[in-house]
Amino acid sequence: MVAVAENLDIYLGSFEKLRKAGAASQPEWLSARRCLGMQRFAELGFPTSRNEEWKYTNLAPLARKSPPLAQPVPDGISTAQLESAGLAEVEGHRLVFVNGCFDAALSRTEASSDGVQVGTLSEEISVGDGSLEEHFTCLADVDNHALVALNTAFLEDAALVEIPARAVLDKPIHIVFLTSAGHPDQVSHPRVFVRAGRDSQATLIESYLALGDQPYWSNPVTEIVAGENARVEHYKLQRESTQAWHTGIVYVRQHRDSNFVSHSLSFGGRLVRADYRVVLADQGCECTLNGLYAVKGSQHVDHHTTIDHAHPHCNSHQLYKGVLDDRSTAVFNGKIMVREDAQKTDAFQSNKNLLLSGNAAINTKPQLEIFANDVRCSHGATVGQIDEDATFYLRSRGISHSAARGLLTYAFAADILERIQVETLRDRLESDLRRWLSSNVETKEDA
Amino acid sequence: MLEIKNLFVKAGDNEILKGISLSVKPGEVHAIMGPNGSGKSTLAQVLAGRESFDVTSGEVSYQGKDLLELAPEVRAQEGIFLAFQYPVEIPGVSNLYFLRTALNAIRQHRGEGDLDAVDFLALAKDKMALLGIDDSMMNRPVNADFSGGEKKRNEIFQMAVLEPKLAILDETDSGLDIDALKEVAKGVNSLRGPERAIVVVTHYQRLLNYIIPDYVHVLADGRIVKSGDRTLALELEEKGYGWVEESAPNGHPVGV
Repeated sequence: MVAVAENLDIYLGSFEKLRKAGAASQPEWLSARRCLGMQRFAELGFPTSRNEEWKYTNLAPLARKSPPLAQPVPDGISTAQLESAGLAEVEGHRLVFVNGCFDAALSRTEASSDGVQVGTLSEEISVGDGSLEEHFTCLADVDNHALVALNTAFLEDAALVEIPARAVLDKPIHIVFLTSAGHPDQVSHPRVFVRAGRDSQATLIESYLALGDQPYWSNPVTEIVAGENARVEHYKLQRESTQAWHTGIVYVRQHRDSNFVSHSLSFGGRLVRADYRVVLADQGCECTLNGLYAVKGSQHVDHHTTIDHAHPHCNSHQLYKGVLDDRSTAVFNGKIMVREDAQKTDAFQSNKNLLLSGNAAINTKPQLEIFANDVRCSHGATVGQIDEDATFYLRSRGISHSAARGLLTYAFAADILERIQVETLRDRLESDLRRWLSSNVETKEDA
Repeated sequence: MLEIKNLFVKAGDNEILKGISLSVKPGEVHAIMGPNGSGKSTLAQVLAGRESFDVTSGEVSYQGKDLLELAPEVRAQEGIFLAFQYPVEIPGVSNLYFLRTALNAIRQHRGEGDLDAVDFLALAKDKMALLGIDDSMMNRPVNADFSGGEKKRNEIFQMAVLEPKLAILDETDSGLDIDALKEVAKGVNSLRGPERAIVVVTHYQRLLNYIIPDYVHVLADGRIVKSGDRTLALELEEKGYGWVEESAPNGHPVGV
């Protein structure tokens, strides 16, 4: 990470402008963190392919751009437009950000007796009790991750979710980041912070959507703290425009006996990086990371997961599946760290890929670093094509070759969607997947 | 209905079928018997359209059409059904969804409308009751984690739903206990009718106690070496396949 952004002056310039504009309304501590973010980004620059973590995902074209910060949409966005962008309609709280700016008209926050707070950073700054300072931005690794530093420098607003101890939410909280690119190559830095208190239970959905097909850059950072014995289910739906760059990272810190389940569902974007960094910070934690990516054309999607088993008696389970067509490429790098004290760790990781085209490529790599001696860790990766025997079986029953391919591909991918607990979301994604297949797999006859 | 003339088939460099001729008329049940490796299953799969085999010469006509020109799905849509020797497991696709998709593809080919889920379920339940198949099997993924007997029964269930004109059963009896065998036979017999033909490929005579064939053909080394009525099967049972292999008249097929 030596190459400083080629357009660093531009970043510094827009940071300075933003800092001056927001100086009055933002507290000292936040300004200080943003300055630190800018400073670290200036020092680190964009990661290059010399960095092992970015070996197969080239950000050089992005580093050469000088993206202006996304601006609010002058006429606003209608609900119909939001739906046309592929919004999955689910019950419960909904926060919508358009081009990084909170849109109250599209959002829906319900007063609830359980004390759950769903709101924005700007709101919290004006009315909050100041407790935010202690936690906000504290999980994200500003020191070592240039894009996280950049996000922190430019964060104007954020989605904040605070779930008090013992609260059990029966409806999900949906946070939507919509890009309606007025200016090509604009950038936004979405930020989410979630704190689930002791014994609480909540479901959180992050959706990344786009109107139109312009190139832009979305650089989100999410921080989730699962308190003692809390249960958090997290969905990340990435349906950016096919011209978009998406570099996202989710930080999770799990306290004793907590349970965190995530589903990372990636369909859009031109170049996508979607990382999870989970720290199992006490005994008895359970962590499940599921993922599905379906890419075509020249899309590139890169998932890096890290699960840090720092304490004994924790389980982690990862299953990522990918469907790749045309010239698309994907990366899966799953790192499991089992520290010396983390005895009785049970960690499992699997990455399965279905290549629908001879020109698609996947780089998959498990990375196990085990320093404890009484643990069970297993991993596996597969790369395959559609099974010929199964195809013939379906065809012998009257199902066309293309429909047979579609059915088999659907079955491969639906394995992940079936794990989605929110029914409306699952239904929606199943029909999205069918549509994806019918516009792709099923239209190809290569018999 | 089905006319096979001097069919030669290769798998890679191996010649497996070396001049098969066979004529099957509507209403008939033919049994093709033979030792392992004689080419029985190859014949069944070639008829269903398996592309890994190479037809080097010969003709197959089905209802006046050149069968070898048709894609596997078109053969199925035209009424051919192969009960697989080794049914394929397809995790993630439910049996019912799969079968409804198949039936509707066939119906569309015939210019009939799709059956919706409700109507299809009613039809499937009728067939399940007929064959004594448990409901729970239908909601499971196709053949996934089915026992050997369940897989074979599932083939017969599919056949009962799709109602083919020409059913080819490839060693559907192998490995079945006697109760399962009787149920499979019951399913097949329920399909017998003047417009339908059935070709039963089997290694064992036992099945033919329950599905009474009109004709029996013995296949050895890629040729039909003997044809006759059902007494041929009994004779085979008694004397073993060595008998026909030795008595083959210079490998020339004996037509019926």
